[in-house]
Amino acid sequence: RINSDGKPAAFQPPPKPVIIDKQKQREERRFLSPEFIPPRGRTDPLKYYIERKDMIQRRKVFNIPEFYVGHILAVTTADPYANGKVNRFVGICIQRGGKGLGATFVLRNVIEDQGVEMCYELYSPRIQAIEVLKLEKRLDDNLLYLRDALPEYSTFDMNMKPVSRLEHEEIPVNKLQVRMKPKPWSKRWERPKYNVKGIKFELPEKKMEEAQKWSQPWLEFDMLREYDTSKIEEKIWKEVSEELKK
Amino acid sequence: MRLSVAAAISHGRVHRRLGLGPRSRLDLLRNLVTALVRHERIEAPWARADEMRGYAERLIEYAKLGDTNERAMRMANFWLTEKDLIHKLFKVLAPRFQPHPGSYTRMLQIPNRNGIDRAKMAVIELKGNPFPPLIRPNRNTEKTLLNQLLKGYREDMQQAAAP
Repeated sequence: RINSDGKPAAFQPPPKPVIIDKQKQREERRFLSPEFIPPRGRTDPLKYYIERKDMIQRRKVFNIPEFYVGHILAVTTADPYANGKVNRFVGICIQRGGKGLGATFVLRNVIEDQGVEMCYELYSPRIQAIEVLKLEKRLDDNLLYLRDALPEYSTFDMNMKPVSRLEHEEIPVNKLQVRMKPKPWSKRWERPKYNVKGIKFELPEKKMEEAQKWSQPWLEFDMLREYDTSKIEEKIWKEVSEELKK
Repeated sequence: MRLSVAAAISHGRVHRRLGLGPRSRLDLLRNLVTALVRHERIEAPWARADEMRGYAERLIEYAKLGDTNERAMRMANFWLTEKDLIHKLFKVLAPRFQPHPGSYTRMLQIPNRNGIDRAKMAVIELKGNPFPPLIRPNRNTEKTLLNQLLKGYREDMQQAAAP
């Protein structure tokens, strides 16, 4: 190109793309693993403090990812009797239980038409790696009803590839309504006590109304049963994040 | 740690069993809470007053959240059977207890009931109520003229007796 002066124009580099750093724009999503929150009771808080120190110590050495019920995980544990000394299991997380160092999670899968559930302890030293293969939350806190659902809802490929996901996005909620095997079930999931939202009930209306007889509408107004964890969570979150940054 | 849920053992259970069942228990306590909000000082069997105390304080904490809060209004609607008291709760009691962070009630034991059951009774009141106080503090009578004169006389007698 030639300028109006007749001299060749100086090289103008193309305009740099503006990178909007969404990491800083969106506030950091806080996730405090539920086993850090102490249960309601009369035990000395010193016990929970010591346990938390041990949990943080383990987390510094071994990365425990953020996961909820409904995620599909692959766990490799050390096993003296397996060839290669490691044992890999893939499954959907149906429940997370326990508090403190004894926190567990149960993975379910159907292998060769046999339903298998494995209960792992998060802080066990036998666990070599935990990978999150697919992130999706479900409508319920525990998916124990998958035991009575059709097996297709619990089958996952052992060699599944991890589904890629952008960081700092909201975890998608899968509003899947699961179809069940014919009754009898291991628990009466239609009763309001279980408060299950993820089942597509194909029962007659009469049965559903009969199940509502066991509802306890006063329970939501019983104020002393509420356990408000917001302040405790704040304190523990500060403590844990500070320790982990070191 | 898996703890067995044996129905007969009640270690660590906090709720008392009143009335005919859990619904009946909540109805009983609801009536007591309504009466407390209406009259601000009531006498009731000690166990019921003790159970009710927790619910009354939580209700006031909900009321402190404000009129516009949906949950607070639903709670007040359930717990106060007489609907004119909802207005009193949000407009009178909540501002009264706004500066205090904690206990809004006072509970004291009174002599047993006069009926055939001789039940252990308690009186429960909201702090800041317009009635005269339950506990009358004893006035210090050391500085009255008569007592000072008597004290002086006693000391003179001791000094005369001692040496």
